[in-house]
Amino acid sequence: MIAIEDKAPDFALQDHLGRTVSLGQLLGRRNVMLLFYPLDWTPT
Amino acid sequence: MPAVEAQLARFRAAHTQVLGVSVDSVHCHANWAKDLGGISFPLLADFNPKGAVARAYGAYLEQAGITDRATVIIDSGGVVRHASSVTPAGQRDISQLAALCEEIDRASASPKEPFAEPPGVADGAVLYVKSRCGFSRATLLAMDNLHLAGRVQVTNITEDAAAKEALVRVAGKETAPCLVLGGKPMHESKDIIRTLVEATSPL
Repeated sequence: MIAIEDKAPDFALQDHLGRTVSLGQLLGRRNVMLLFYPLDWTPT
Repeated sequence: MPAVEAQLARFRAAHTQVLGVSVDSVHCHANWAKDLGGISFPLLADFNPKGAVARAYGAYLEQAGITDRATVIIDSGGVVRHASSVTPAGQRDISQLAALCEEIDRASASPKEPFAEPPGVADGAVLYVKSRCGFSRATLLAMDNLHLAGRVQVTNITEDAAAKEALVRVAGKETAPCLVLGGKPMHESKDIIRTLVEATSPL
């Protein structure tokens, strides 16, 4: 698992609403919480 | 995920954009999100190459070949401030994570902008769809995920002859899906979804 104080690796992925979302477009104006999960149709 | 959707205002107040990440496709995400009652924050497809972003964050369980149920909070300066796992079988405590985001937001001196109130979809919007049409279905999934049922009128031109006539009057042709906003028709499903997203859930 990535460590606290590490620089977050950038990424750009498609979302379920047709957007390309990148970390870079959010940083500088937003904090970001990533919720990784194994598969759709599983609990939060 | 529904627990996150229910507390989105709290995350927004803490200047925090929530992103769900799994190896599922965007189509799988959209259908699942609808079944959950609508998810308006991004669910990202870490799909090609499979699990690449999870790997970059050390959240991919190589032996099992699945993504861990891991949470990473990054401040607006791009520095990781929290990283944890509840294991794939575990369950996150979303209220606790919201409190953590508030704490990290208060402690961080990096620049942040408030989430602007989205403009919303203009009154009188009508979405024309047809049956057995993947593009129509995609627009309907977006409607559900953005909680727009009842705020945008939906009519099915396959089932309703009067709706088909109304569509031809406003758009000049019976092509669906078609979103009519302020009397102007828009036909591409991607444009329709982007318009609805920008009106209700901009990043």
